[in-house]
Amino acid sequence: MERKKIDVKAIKKDVKEKVSVGEEDFPFDISPMYEGERIRKGEMYVELGGPKQPGFELVVALPIDQVEDMKVTLLGSDLDELEEGQAHPYAMIYYVAGSQIDMDLEPVIERRNHDFQNFIEGYMHLNQRYDIWVRIGKNAIDKGLRSLTQIAKATMMLFKNEMPFIEKIEALYITDGEIVEKLLKEYAMPIYEERDARIEALHDEDVDEFYSCTLCQSFAPTNVCIISPDRPSLCGAITWFDGRAAARVDPEGPNRAVPKGELIDPIGGEYTGVNEFAKEESGGEYTRIKLHSFFEYPHTSCGCFEVIGFYMPEVDGIGWVHRGYAEPAPNGLTFSTMAGQTGGGKQVVGFLGVGIGYFRSKKFIQADGGWYRVVWMPKELKQRVEKFIPDDMRDKIATEDEAKTIEELKEFLKRVNHPVVTGVVRHVDGKKITEGWVEERRVEEKVVEKAEVEEAPQVPTPSVSISPMPGIRLVIKNANIYIDKIVLRRKKEGEKS
Amino acid sequence: MAVLLVYFLSRKYRVLAVDADPDSNLADALGIEGYKTLGEIRELFQHSRDDFGTMSKESWLEGKIYGEVIFEADDFDVLVMGRPEGEGCYCFTNNMLRAILRKLMRHYDVVVVDCEAGLEHISRKTIDSADVILVVTDASRKGFKTASRIRELAKELGLKAKMYLIANKVREGEENVITRYAKSEGFRLLDILPYDEEVAKADLEGLPIPLDCRVAKKVENLAGVLICEANP
Repeated sequence: MERKKIDVKAIKKDVKEKVSVGEEDFPFDISPMYEGERIRKGEMYVELGGPKQPGFELVVALPIDQVEDMKVTLLGSDLDELEEGQAHPYAMIYYVAGSQIDMDLEPVIERRNHDFQNFIEGYMHLNQRYDIWVRIGKNAIDKGLRSLTQIAKATMMLFKNEMPFIEKIEALYITDGEIVEKLLKEYAMPIYEERDARIEALHDEDVDEFYSCTLCQSFAPTNVCIISPDRPSLCGAITWFDGRAAARVDPEGPNRAVPKGELIDPIGGEYTGVNEFAKEESGGEYTRIKLHSFFEYPHTSCGCFEVIGFYMPEVDGIGWVHRGYAEPAPNGLTFSTMAGQTGGGKQVVGFLGVGIGYFRSKKFIQADGGWYRVVWMPKELKQRVEKFIPDDMRDKIATEDEAKTIEELKEFLKRVNHPVVTGVVRHVDGKKITEGWVEERRVEEKVVEKAEVEEAPQVPTPSVSISPMPGIRLVIKNANIYIDKIVLRRKKEGEKS
Repeated sequence: MAVLLVYFLSRKYRVLAVDADPDSNLADALGIEGYKTLGEIRELFQHSRDDFGTMSKESWLEGKIYGEVIFEADDFDVLVMGRPEGEGCYCFTNNMLRAILRKLMRHYDVVVVDCEAGLEHISRKTIDSADVILVVTDASRKGFKTASRIRELAKELGLKAKMYLIANKVREGEENVITRYAKSEGFRLLDILPYDEEVAKADLEGLPIPLDCRVAKKVENLAGVLICEANP
């Protein structure tokens, strides 16, 4: 959608036009303390937009020579001509220009229109985009508010003060219903839709920083969620865009910016900046996170996740079950039992808590094969994420209809020739990452002889966590483990652990 | 009684009445309908939050609360909390709601929160920033016990609010029992509201409480006292 200035002359004949340029004094007070101010119906002078009339707000980035700084054009009736006590159409379009401004910044700037306009005494702004609902109070009129151009100027001044990268800003306000509706349909909506489509196309590599969320730390003190474009929060509430908005408003709050740093592992999704941040925020509990890996340094969970993934070694595949599914999964465990194992901010290999939004990610557990490693999920969940499952996998993932036990699952997977049977190929780089099912046969015991101390494989353990029994956790830090003898033996059928 | 308080306070002040009882009695008693509850909006948000795209979630919530939840009666506004949480994680949602409500409440002179009869709100510290907490009991053993427990819990949690006892629906002859209880517990007894036939009848018939009946007059007085107590 081309960004151009609206030709005010061509849009409609004989429409009232008012132009004003430059600074001025405002009769109303401007301060953050007016945020949340409610203008009741009885106190209102006029309503603009809202449920009864069309309205929208839009920020458009233009080349610097096309924008006339601090100019406002008003098309249609001004405040003194609008019927009191009634609702009227309303559109606010801002043209912005600056060397750092591009189309991606438009929604970020646009969101602030709501914040800034609420600083104005006697002016209430709700919602965004085409849902905007504005009320101007009689108190503002009494204080001397005469024209919408004053509102526009005050807002533009706030924009420039709070966002210094806006070098020039110009406003076009419209109260003529016909023009508002026409522009909404032909100009604004295509831009909104284009922006929404952009998010689908935004990936981890396109941005410089991710965002953290520590809201759950009251339940799980070591949990830190890292939210990236390809990985939304596991509670399902926060996308990368939400994180960005929250961090901007309160940089020291529960959502903060996490600079990516250097890329360590493009497939697993590991970055130096993220690792450093995780180390700090988790109190040293863990030092590495791979955002898109199930088995290696997986992302931690607080217990609030919407869906939990579990590994079934019998089929070498990953199953998923969502909160609200009460039956046991083929591994015999229910959601709540597994959730108990995974929550609390630990990195537990074999389980992974995620948000439903992660299923739509192009990087969905890509280190471990993504959808090609998924073998089972409840019907309800599968239906919800159906459109994100690749066509060639849709019929190969079992639900409770096809399999309720491991045996049934094995049968099903063999029948549909699921990739885990023959060996999963990772689509992102074409590498084969699993061997497939090996026929069971008796294997001799292999005994590795005692090795010399210097050659002994030392398992570096920055920190190892063992749970010998419920309620007790052993954490071994900075220990070197010397192995005297390793016995490898395939478990015979029917043998207990 | 909360209803009467709201009526009288709204004559002089900008009042927000909050019905924090999932049973929503205050809203019925105030005779309002055609509103959404905060619980409903929260549930709607929980289910549709994947589809927000780049739109601001906080702005959406705020818009819904201001536009559909807050009911504008003639002289005051009403906010009905509604159902408690369902399944899933509400950390993020509740965090946003708290911020929105805090901003909202700043613009009222008085916020009257009608809680259910019990300890829930005290223990959850939902009302910990209140200036005054009114514990309302009748002349019954159960009432007294609950009142005592509430007071104990509040003390344990270190709530800063001034706590007062109000006895409601008290019949002739029962006043002594109340004063004795209050004294023995160290409760500050603000007022004893008599059992009023007119009020009971109006309630059963679904009519508004007549503002000139005995109880009403007492509550009117009480309203004045409370404002003084809340603003020393």
